[in-house]
Amino acid sequence: MKAIIAATISGVILMFAGILVKEKKNAVTLAVILLLALLGVNIYEVVSTPAAAPQAFFNNMLRIDRYAVWFNTLLTGCTLLYVLLIGKEIAKVGSHVAEYFALICFILCGLYILSGYNNMLMLFLGIEIISIPQYILAGSDKKNLKSSEASLKYFLMGAFSTGILLMGITLLYGATGSFYITNFTFLQADSLNVLALAGIILVMIALSFKVSAAPFHMWTPDVYDGAPTAFTAFMATVAKAAAFIAFLRLFQVAFGSLSNSWTLVLSVITAATLFVGNITAVFQQSVKRMLAYSSIAQAGFMLFAVISVNAIAWQGIIIYAVAYSVATIGIFAVLLKLKDYTYDGFNGLAQKEPTLAFVATIFLLSLAGIPLTGGFMAKYYVLSAAMQQGHLMWLVIFALLMAAISVYYYFRVIIAMYFKPGNPELNSPVTQTDKFLLILTCAIVLLIGIFPQLFLSV
Amino acid sequence: MTQLVYLVPLFPLIGFLINGIFWRKMPKTAGGVIGTLTILASFIVSLGIFFEVKNSGTATMVHLFDFINSGKLSIPFTFQVDALSSLFLLIITGVGFLIHVYSTSYMHEDEGMVKYFAYLNLFIFSMLLLVLGGNYLIMFIGWEGVGLCSYLLIGFWFKNRDYTNAAKKAFVMNRIGDLGFLVGMLLILYTYGTLSYQDFFGQLKGGQVIVSTSTYNWIAICLFIGAMGKSAQIPLYTWLPDAMAGPTPVSALIHAATMVTAGIYMIARSSALYNLAPMAQTLITWIGLATAIVAATIAMKQYDIKKVLAYSTVSQLGFMFLALGVGAYTTAVFHVMTHAFFKALLFLGAGSVIHAMGGEQDLRLMGGLGKKMRITQITFLIGCLAISGIPGFSGFFSKDEILAMAYAHDPILYYLGVFAAMMTAFYMFRLYFLAFTGIFRGTHDQEHHLHESPWAITIPLIILAILSVVGGYVGLPAVISEHHALASYLAPVVANTGEHHMLAGTEWMLMGISVSVSVLMIIVAYVRNKKPAFAPNTGVAKFLENKWYVDELYDAVIVRPIGAISRLLDRFAERAGIDGIVNGVGKLVGWGGDRVRLLQSGQVGFYIFVMVLGIIALFTLGFFWIR
Repeated sequence: MKAIIAATISGVILMFAGILVKEKKNAVTLAVILLLALLGVNIYEVVSTPAAAPQAFFNNMLRIDRYAVWFNTLLTGCTLLYVLLIGKEIAKVGSHVAEYFALICFILCGLYILSGYNNMLMLFLGIEIISIPQYILAGSDKKNLKSSEASLKYFLMGAFSTGILLMGITLLYGATGSFYITNFTFLQADSLNVLALAGIILVMIALSFKVSAAPFHMWTPDVYDGAPTAFTAFMATVAKAAAFIAFLRLFQVAFGSLSNSWTLVLSVITAATLFVGNITAVFQQSVKRMLAYSSIAQAGFMLFAVISVNAIAWQGIIIYAVAYSVATIGIFAVLLKLKDYTYDGFNGLAQKEPTLAFVATIFLLSLAGIPLTGGFMAKYYVLSAAMQQGHLMWLVIFALLMAAISVYYYFRVIIAMYFKPGNPELNSPVTQTDKFLLILTCAIVLLIGIFPQLFLSV
Repeated sequence: MTQLVYLVPLFPLIGFLINGIFWRKMPKTAGGVIGTLTILASFIVSLGIFFEVKNSGTATMVHLFDFINSGKLSIPFTFQVDALSSLFLLIITGVGFLIHVYSTSYMHEDEGMVKYFAYLNLFIFSMLLLVLGGNYLIMFIGWEGVGLCSYLLIGFWFKNRDYTNAAKKAFVMNRIGDLGFLVGMLLILYTYGTLSYQDFFGQLKGGQVIVSTSTYNWIAICLFIGAMGKSAQIPLYTWLPDAMAGPTPVSALIHAATMVTAGIYMIARSSALYNLAPMAQTLITWIGLATAIVAATIAMKQYDIKKVLAYSTVSQLGFMFLALGVGAYTTAVFHVMTHAFFKALLFLGAGSVIHAMGGEQDLRLMGGLGKKMRITQITFLIGCLAISGIPGFSGFFSKDEILAMAYAHDPILYYLGVFAAMMTAFYMFRLYFLAFTGIFRGTHDQEHHLHESPWAITIPLIILAILSVVGGYVGLPAVISEHHALASYLAPVVANTGEHHMLAGTEWMLMGISVSVSVLMIIVAYVRNKKPAFAPNTGVAKFLENKWYVDELYDAVIVRPIGAISRLLDRFAERAGIDGIVNGVGKLVGWGGDRVRLLQSGQVGFYIFVMVLGIIALFTLGFFWIR
């Protein structure tokens, strides 16, 4: 709860700073300080929240437990890492630097609500709080037509999916007479009425849209490609993880006992997501667009945590969200250093900037799920959660095949960096600070891969 | 102190990391000092641990962290500190330290000295992991690490093609053995559901899991195949003589303190298992004996100073396996210890000679070195006396114990063992007389440069020489003393079955026979090599000089047929079959991607249309499929 307040205040402070702070650099520094404070508040919450008993707020509309605050802490950490690594690039997007950071703080506020909501209204509120700033961030490069197009597309389709979400909530209310997700457990799987089932499927569709699952993913490549790269990195990671925790929470807590009625539908969505994300990524010529498709593919893996109603799924989503976010933020930080976003733009990077090429390799290995990196452990956790369900074996095998395909497009970048001659042009020189931060990010990726327990110790 | 056992491998690891990361930038001396000091630190901690274990006599498990926790399988990263592992700690770090000191001088001219020390530290680290591990998996990690480091160090001068081939050979031979070890390990896991020594041996003793003797035999034989590779037994011994390609201190390290003793350690550790597997024990006995004899015959006709020592190591390892096979595990460990002292001494002595000769290793071009290199000569002589089993020197006690145990088991083993021991005395003193006595046979230029080596080389030699003498007194023969210090120290850990209750007269007689034949052979060696003439060998001698043509045999029977099959598979199965399938799948994925890509038209209306289609499809699925 304190974190929600702190995030809002940070956002407001940053909005005022937009008027008062003239230097772009100072805005970045202020954002870093506020995020550090926010991280501190989150850590305080982890320490102060009792392990067993969730704390209820606003008439029990929020139930924040130890798990939720730990998830918040880790993702706030990711955000801090993101601002440290990419802050300079954010400052180059446009003139309203402080406002961009304010929007990021609001997204964090949405995340804190989504990780602890207990009422469908709060879910709706949280989803909107993370969505609207994203529409703006996507269009923040106002002079760039592609950016504006991305923003408009995202907004139109987002509005459509919000409508579906509201419809679903309405039907569920009609079926149960309640907005409280714990009340849905009174529904019985064998006597599930049409109203409730339709509500569940509609909510599932709306949330699938938010996490860019197929066939509701169509906005993703265009928006991620069109939006300023610095913001794509955030939208594809922390904002997406926020939507995922909401998805997971709803389907585990509220509909967990009804899993027979929706597992098949969701597994079809998962399979489609894996297929579309991986197959299409193969064909891209731009690394940025490839990463957009890869984020769809990774969402397919995260959906495994939603499908599997068990304790490992809760752990899996933490590991996956963190490992995927850190590696993706890292690879975007490398991408932002380059002028040319095509595969050819990476040619010969290993010769020119060995550190950059090395860390990029680790990030890509992690995204591909190679052992010793965080990505491997993440895939291991979510897939073993699905294995525990028993009847999802076909989906796990399919996912492994798709993971094998993903190796192709991730390794294409590594091959370009190490085995092809070329002289890549850099946007800005790689400073010692950059190197230090990138290696730190790299170390986190490896740490997750070797000691995943550290990130689950709550 | 035992709780601090993690420090022992930690120090070499730190040394490895520092030297390994900064090897390009660091000055040579700094690399040497760091490498050596870390081992010294480990040695000091090991000493403390040793005395603590000696006083308490109990085994301590030091749990570091959970390594693998998956379903029912739980493998903690645990160190087991007991009599056996603490003794090996002392040997590894103690002899290892001396070799490090020696290397600071020996490798000083080399460009890659810091890298060399990094590898050396990693080697010691792996070996420490191997002996400290509380279960077979950790042992296996060390086991593989040792194999890797030996590859790196044997091929240290990688610009020479022969050396890299030797490194490759060592690696491949070891891999063959490792496969056996791995299979044995998986069999244990499959049968008993655990890899930890305590659980496994406890279950063996308790007999909760009923298995047939053949299961014990299979596990024991698989593990022994691993030991064959690591400890260079027939048929996997040929890598060890070729391992001479590395710098001489490395040979000393591989042959004396680490690597080759791994197999002995593993079997001694698993003594509870081997006692239940009589067939495996018989196999070990005979393979050990055969190795001891074959290698000794080869050593008699080698002219390369290091090759002689290499085959002598193979032969001595054969003795140790003979002891293991008859159930005298303590005796094998005893011989490991004395062998570590005198073989390190001999190798380092040989290194000192090679150093003085400017890289020359051919015995035919040496002679009379004793006049110029007094310390090397005397220490080397002590080493020779020790390995030949002359009373008063350490080798006598351990080798004699092995022979007595063999006699108690079956007299024929004893006679064959004495035969091998006889040859040992001959080839060692042949080497000694050829190198150190007589007149110098090399070039005038070499003679001019002959000099005693610096202190960093001679001091380790002197220390090892002292140890080669006194090292044997921890295990006096039964007829002299009732108290066998080493046996009582190891008793809680190692389950000996080989015992001899023989009359004092018999024992004196056995001792007398083996000593007198050794002395006789020394005299023969002196007479034959007083005025050496090197005519080309013919007949049996030529057969021996060419090492029984085993390398050629392996090449013809295994290497070449495999090469031919590989080429065949490459041409047909690989290129036509597998490549075709793989590329086909790739093309299919590419084609699919190309089609799916077209859906992404950029039109929002179309996107929403697809979404609606998706919604309809999912509703159909959700409502009609399930109901």
